[in-house]
Amino acid sequence: MAETEQQIKKQNWYDKNYKKLLILPLALLILSIAYIGIFYSQNGDFVRKDVSLTGGTTITVFGENAINIENLRNSLSAEISDFSIRELSDLRSGKQEAVIIESPEDSASLRPILEGILGYELTDKNSSIEFTGSSLSSDFYKQLLYAVLLSFSFMALVVFFIFGGYWKVKMSSVILTLLPIILFFSGAISINVAIISNILVLVFNFIFYLKYSIPSVAVVISAFADIIMTLALVDLIGIKISSAGLIAFLMLIGYSVDTDIMLTTRLLKRKESEINTRLYNAFKTGMTMTISSIVAVGVALIFTYTFSEILKQIFTILLIGLGFDLFNTWITNASILKWFLEKKD
Amino acid sequence: MAKLGFKIWLMLIAIVLALLMISPSFEKGVQISYLPQNSTAYEQGLRTGDIITSIDSDTVTNLQDYTEVISSKFPTGENIKLKITTKDNEFILFTNQTPEIVVQNIPTSRIQTGLDLRGGSRALVKADKPLNAQELTDLIAVTSSRLNVYGLSDIVIRPVSDLSGNNYMLVEIAGSTPKELENLIAKQGKFEAKIGNETVFEGGNKDVTYVSRSGQQSGIYSCDTYQEGEICKFRFAISLSEEAAERHAQITDALDINSTNPEYLSEQLELYLDDKLVDALYISKDLKGRTTTQISISGSGAGPTRNEAIEVAEANMKELQTVLITGSLPFKLEVVKLDTISPLLGEKFIKSILIAGLAAIIAVAIIVFLRYRKLNLSLAVLLTAFSEVLIILGIAALIKWNLDLPSIAGIIATIGTGVDQQIVVLDESRSSKQYSMKERIKRALFIIFGAYFTTLFSMIPLYWAGAGLLKGFAVTTIIGISAGVFITRPAFAEIVKRIIKD
Repeated sequence: MAETEQQIKKQNWYDKNYKKLLILPLALLILSIAYIGIFYSQNGDFVRKDVSLTGGTTITVFGENAINIENLRNSLSAEISDFSIRELSDLRSGKQEAVIIESPEDSASLRPILEGILGYELTDKNSSIEFTGSSLSSDFYKQLLYAVLLSFSFMALVVFFIFGGYWKVKMSSVILTLLPIILFFSGAISINVAIISNILVLVFNFIFYLKYSIPSVAVVISAFADIIMTLALVDLIGIKISSAGLIAFLMLIGYSVDTDIMLTTRLLKRKESEINTRLYNAFKTGMTMTISSIVAVGVALIFTYTFSEILKQIFTILLIGLGFDLFNTWITNASILKWFLEKKD
Repeated sequence: MAKLGFKIWLMLIAIVLALLMISPSFEKGVQISYLPQNSTAYEQGLRTGDIITSIDSDTVTNLQDYTEVISSKFPTGENIKLKITTKDNEFILFTNQTPEIVVQNIPTSRIQTGLDLRGGSRALVKADKPLNAQELTDLIAVTSSRLNVYGLSDIVIRPVSDLSGNNYMLVEIAGSTPKELENLIAKQGKFEAKIGNETVFEGGNKDVTYVSRSGQQSGIYSCDTYQEGEICKFRFAISLSEEAAERHAQITDALDINSTNPEYLSEQLELYLDDKLVDALYISKDLKGRTTTQISISGSGAGPTRNEAIEVAEANMKELQTVLITGSLPFKLEVVKLDTISPLLGEKFIKSILIAGLAAIIAVAIIVFLRYRKLNLSLAVLLTAFSEVLIILGIAALIKWNLDLPSIAGIIATIGTGVDQQIVVLDESRSSKQYSMKERIKRALFIIFGAYFTTLFSMIPLYWAGAGLLKGFAVTTIIGISAGVFITRPAFAEIVKRIIKD
């Protein structure tokens, strides 16, 4: 394989500096965690939750006549204090497609207020109404958080199984992870205890694997960094997360691990060429993968932007996450792996 | 042909099977979705599922046609002859009333969409105490008979539980929704008829053996102006059990004659619904001490206009009838989630999603072309992605899975990871020539299986979280990635092998 001088230069630079490069993701990760920490202390939670997670009503009104947002806002604020109004409009013509009103009020009280202001009855011909009770939504939120945590734990286990050390180590990490889940399903522990136990198990397994399998640790760290950085940015730009938005984080786990597994397999399980050549080839493949994902998600976002809040949110979060994944796969994961392999040699 | 190889054949067979499952339909007409068994149309031989193609001489191609034709003929004073032509037969009805036929557009395929796309209502109901399996079954039985009183046809009621072991009742109603839905499913439905402090009878078949819902003994009998609006009164007859009639006799026997109104007894029969007074009836003095099994229940409804008053009165009457028939539930209920989605948004939505999906796949094909500069590789990626979507839809149709928004998000996720894995196959198969093609493909499949298992296991928790309302995401993702790993990816590898060899 012929390499140009420039490429060799680049490689020399990379060989010299790849460890230093790790400072970038590390700094960003610390910054993100700090920001989420501050956010938590101010808002009492990791994310801004929409009414599907806090309890309340979303009414989507559409129909022949456009609604004057300002008038609606003024009239509504005379009746209720806590609400938000958004407008969906056609991307090309700018024509109003629908108005979305969100409030912690229940539907039985919000609906007549809105009908009074609009001056007509809300039926299933001109509106959609979604109400979530606050008792359900807090359960919902906790369960979805637990689901995301378990997804992450299972992902980590599979990664340990593929790249990890001895069988005994693998089996004990599986048993440890499953234990709180079994206790929770048998009703022995509450969801709060289960969440905390599984976090502790995850941390414990992580330390365990730090000793037995650095490559698995690299994959898990980069997936973790993807999620944390995405979460920080989502908080920063003020997205209100819905239950569907939490799904996007699950999707993100899947997408981010794909490239990491490819990279680790190429570097760890192949011996045919030099590390840098393998890394460069993996980089080419991985870039194609992630860029095609970004393009697909971006295109889908453009097309769904005007008509579905749910899909818009899922695609936005994915787009952010995939961006961070480029960074974490090719700096975080790649550098740790290279470091590990060079030390081994 | 046999040269295509087992893997490609497998994919082709899967696609054909998927198409069979989806079985797209281009038929014209409307399909009967609900037909009461005591209706004239049923007696004439029409059945649910029949496809109506014309009425008299008017061709019916869709729901709008049907509504137009029917509303041009009814209401009518005298019996008219109505010729209904279905796909296989002809039926003649003589009637002066709108036929009690509920129709829908013919489904364009066997793919079923969820309520959030199709329109309809979904309610998640929770009791104020943990319910055991029997109580949940009872609750569902009572709820479905309450909804039946309203003549709602396309209803699914089933128990669901969540990660924390809470039990809920999930009620799903397709199409348009009665305004009273929340009341209908959330009310405990405690009906008591009292004289003084003593209960004469309660709702449910222990005390009430029959409730008249049609005919002369049931309906609105008077309307009057009242303050600013109108008030309409209704009444309907019920039959009491011997035991309840006996109680009635004992209690009334102890009453005196009303001093101001000597036609009646001194106390009234008070009707309570969920502890709220609905109406108070004077008891005729002739009934004192008599075991009477026939009682007339009455009530009223008010509104600013007569029509509205009639509507309210009818709704109140139905509600009373419902609780008298079904009786009360031994626990209070709370509607913890209630979504009413307009059916009008659905069609537009599905169209936009299809366009978005198509655009995304084409964009990916372009990226693949830019990277590999080979049109046939690009086409192979495009083809594989489409066949994956087809196979997911086919399996969804087979297991009668309702495709809702989370399911669609799952399909999108699958296509995304699918394309990623195809790129892995492409690059591995073009990698170092020192290994055989078989070895290179084997290596690609190792990475793919690794990615498969991480995604598979990470989807499982979603199955229970949030009362299963987001289950669709896990279901379509698991179907999609499994179909990918076992069917389309090996076939894609085979195709790539052939393209690169050339």
